[in-house]
This record gives sequence, structure tokens and C-alpha cells, in this order.
Amino acid sequence: MRNRFVPVLVWIVAILVVWEAGSWALLNLAQVPLAQSKLPYVHAILTTSVQYSGTLLKEGSATFGNAAIGFVIGAAAGVLLAILMSVSRWIERLTFPYAVASQMIPILGLAPIIYGIVRDEYISRIIISGYITFFPVALNMLRGLRSVEPSALELMYSYAAKPWSIYWKLRFPAALPSLFSGLKIAAPLAVTGAILVELMGAQHGIGVIMLRNLYYGPSHVYMFWSTVVVGALLGILSYWVISLIERIIAPWQPEFRTRGGEQ
Amino acid sequence: MSTMPVPSVGTGMPEIQLSNVEMRYRTGNTEVLALHQVSMDIAKGEFVSLLGPSGCGKTTLLRLMADLLEPTTGSVTVAGESAREARLARKYGIVFQSPVLYDWRKVRHNVALPLEMMKVPKKERDARAMELLELVGLQSFADKYPWQLSGGMQQRAAIARALAMEPEILLMDEPFSALDEFSRERLNEELLSIWSKVQNTIVFVTHSIPESIFMSDRVFVLSPHPGRLSAVVDIPLPRPRTPEMRNSPEFFELIAKIRDSFEGV
Repeated sequence: MRNRFVPVLVWIVAILVVWEAGSWALLNLAQVPLAQSKLPYVHAILTTSVQYSGTLLKEGSATFGNAAIGFVIGAAAGVLLAILMSVSRWIERLTFPYAVASQMIPILGLAPIIYGIVRDEYISRIIISGYITFFPVALNMLRGLRSVEPSALELMYSYAAKPWSIYWKLRFPAALPSLFSGLKIAAPLAVTGAILVELMGAQHGIGVIMLRNLYYGPSHVYMFWSTVVVGALLGILSYWVISLIERIIAPWQPEFRTRGGEQ
Repeated sequence: MSTMPVPSVGTGMPEIQLSNVEMRYRTGNTEVLALHQVSMDIAKGEFVSLLGPSGCGKTTLLRLMADLLEPTTGSVTVAGESAREARLARKYGIVFQSPVLYDWRKVRHNVALPLEMMKVPKKERDARAMELLELVGLQSFADKYPWQLSGGMQQRAAIARALAMEPEILLMDEPFSALDEFSRERLNEELLSIWSKVQNTIVFVTHSIPESIFMSDRVFVLSPHPGRLSAVVDIPLPRPRTPEMRNSPEFFELIAKIRDSFEGV
């Protein structure tokens, strides 16, 4: 364990030191105008973050909570569509082009439309997060369901297995690794999507204080950067949560095999 | 295992019967004749091999018996029924070239899979899986995952799984071809000892002449282009077969005899 974490720690410290030095150089050596807006001191961001940790935490959890609800709904819908498409080519041909087309609509344009319709910032965030989650999950799940080896299927035929038990005992477990790669792509995107909706004029959420502090200008630069950092951390947290669930639900995958087999 | 019927070689209905089986594939614009007019009878309790070079249709034949393929013309009868009915009645167990163990299941749960499909209660399933693992010598690996086992052990687990339903028939498609010579010979002997306890009908596909002789009561020799049955060779070696028999003059005579049957085509 030590061997794995030491390099990461060294790497992080190195980046922070370079950042801090760069910030100092920009401000004092190069004397660039608005130097702190371009590359603020790390320690100043940290101090501000701690000072306003209450606000950041409250707004951050509002964003994360909505993103999580949207993510779960979007993931469930994606899995369901993938199952339907894997059962019937006809359903796939009918729905897949629309699923692809839906991803061509810019979220930046879609968010105000959704907001205009539902007139509720929470529901808008949930819808956008779900909308972003849906596609990568559906696509990866479908690929997972189809990834089953022919001989594994033939084994099921030899047992005269009913279609649903083929799904339950073979296709679903075989699809889990793909499903989780879809979920890991979607989770941070769902958070980003929720923040984007907040920029459209919400009352709560990390995106709201991000926008406000951006408008207030250079005097609020540290707070603005704090919100950006919190936003990034929320994305990382979402990814980390999914990875943890994956390890619990699908621990047999090759990348988790710490000690090799006797092959 | 004790419930297996006593074999009655050479009496009554054949366990597996193929008559005038013809198999054609269409790939693009060309039609390939995979099997040409194959007929064969396999008796209950018999151990037979389907032997031939690649392209002779030996695996295709096995897959016809398993109802994983349907013949273009001709009929396949398994355990007195059509191949389809026999599959739906779970009359056979099958072992593939690769172990096809499910990665997410521990070894004993892989072995118990067919029993789950048959809705056998969990307690009985577990007990039966352990019994089978003991039969193939894997009892201490019951709680391992497939990837923690060597190739030979994985294939033994696959055999245990195929035996779980106590099938009348065991269909084996080159089960040991991916193993090294030493493991293969050891597993040959183990399979024969398992067979002597289980006493079912085994159809064994192989491309190894010595393996087919060592294992079988009869060897069906197949030739390619188009795949057809070119000879049926009786193996009069006594049972139980011992490793020393591999060095006996009779064994070498049989090898020569089978070689000749290839060249005669």
C-alpha cells in the first residue's frame, strides 16, 4: 500500500509547489495584470475554502444530491433500454438513432429549455444529469450484454435454459464490467451537467456561487477558484464512489486480481 | 453417481444414432459440404472417439448430437428421442475445448450451475457440487475462482460440471487439446477412472490418434473435404486401461491401423 501512495503524494506535492511558485512568479517577477485571477496562490484558495467551508459544503451537497438522483434515474433508464435493445434488434433499430441524436443537442442549449418547461431548478438538474448519464450507460451496457462468449451461451442452451435465466445467470454478470465503465464515464459528467444547469439561474448549488463570485470580479477570485476546486472534487468523488461499488459488486475482474492465478 | 443405469453394450436401441446426416454451410456464394452421408450407432455405456484432422467435421458431428446445430438432411437420435428433445430433457452433459467457467462464480458454484438450472434445492446442490469436486480431485479448490486454477484444473472443473446433472451421455469436444502432453495423459487416465464410476456413454472428439485409442471402445475415423466417416476401428484393449498399455505392441498396431485407414481414403 505504501508503495502505491508515496508516488501519488509526491506528485501532488510537486504540482502544488510548482503552482505556488508559478503564482508567485506571475505576480512578482512578470507582474502580469490580474495575475491572481490567472493563477492564484494555492494557500489563498485553501484558506478561503476552509473559511467558507460551510457554504461550499452546503451548496456542493445540493449539487451532488441532485446529480446523484439524476444519475441513478438515467442509469436505470440506460440499463433498461440496453436490455430491450439486446432482446430485440427491432427495438434497437427503432430507438438507437434517437438515442444518438439526443446526444447531439448541446446541453448548454437544452438546459434553459428544460428549465423553461419545468420551472424548477431541482427537477431541471435531475433531468439534465439523468439525460447525460443515460447514453454512455445504455451504450456500454448493450455492448456488455452482447460480449458473452458463444460457448458460454451454448452451455446455457445445453441446459435448456429459459431466456430470462440466460440473462440472469450469464448476460447480466458478464455485462457488469462494461456497465461500470459506462457508469464511471457518466458519473462526473452528471455532476458537470448539474453545475451547468445552475449557471442558468438557480438559487442553490455550487454553480450558483461559482457564477456570483465570477461576476464580483478580482476581489472574489479565491472564492471563485474554491468553487471550481469543489466542483472538480465532486466529480472525483462521484467516480470514486462508482469504483468502490464496482469492487464490491464485480470483484472478479482481471484488474482486481491482486495475486495471480497458477496459470 | 449410484443412480446411473448399468451399461448394456450392444443390446437394444443405440444410445445415439445418426442416419445419412448431411451438413451444408453457405458462406458467401459458395456452399461448403461439411458432412457427407454420415451414419453411426453408439451403444449405451460405450466410450467412442471421433477422430480426424481439422476440417473433417468431427466437432460438427458432436454439435449435431448436442442440438447446437441441425443437420441439412438426415436424422439424429439421442437417447431414443430427437436431438432437440434430448437437449430439452437434459440428457447430455457437454465439455468444450475451453473450460467455459463463469468468471464471477467460485469453482463450486460453477459446478452447481446445471443444478441451479434444474431448480435443485441449495443444500442438495452444495453437497452434490462437493461430491463432484471430490470425484475430479478439486475438493480443496471449491472456494477458488476459475482464474486461480491451472488449465488442467479448470478443465476438470468443467467435467465435474458436465456430470452434475447425472447425464446419460457425456459429449466432449477436444477437452484436453489445450493442455500439455503430460497433463493430457494424466487427465485421460482420470477421465477413464471417472467413467468407470459413472458408467455413462461418452463421445470424445480428438485429433490425437494415441488418445483416441487409449480412451475408446471404438474409434470413428473421419476424413476431410467433404467430412465423412472413413473407418470404424474396434479397440480390443482390456479395461481398465493402464498407462503401460501405451507402450504395448497392440497399441502400436492400432496406431498403424488407424494411420492406414487415413491413407486408404
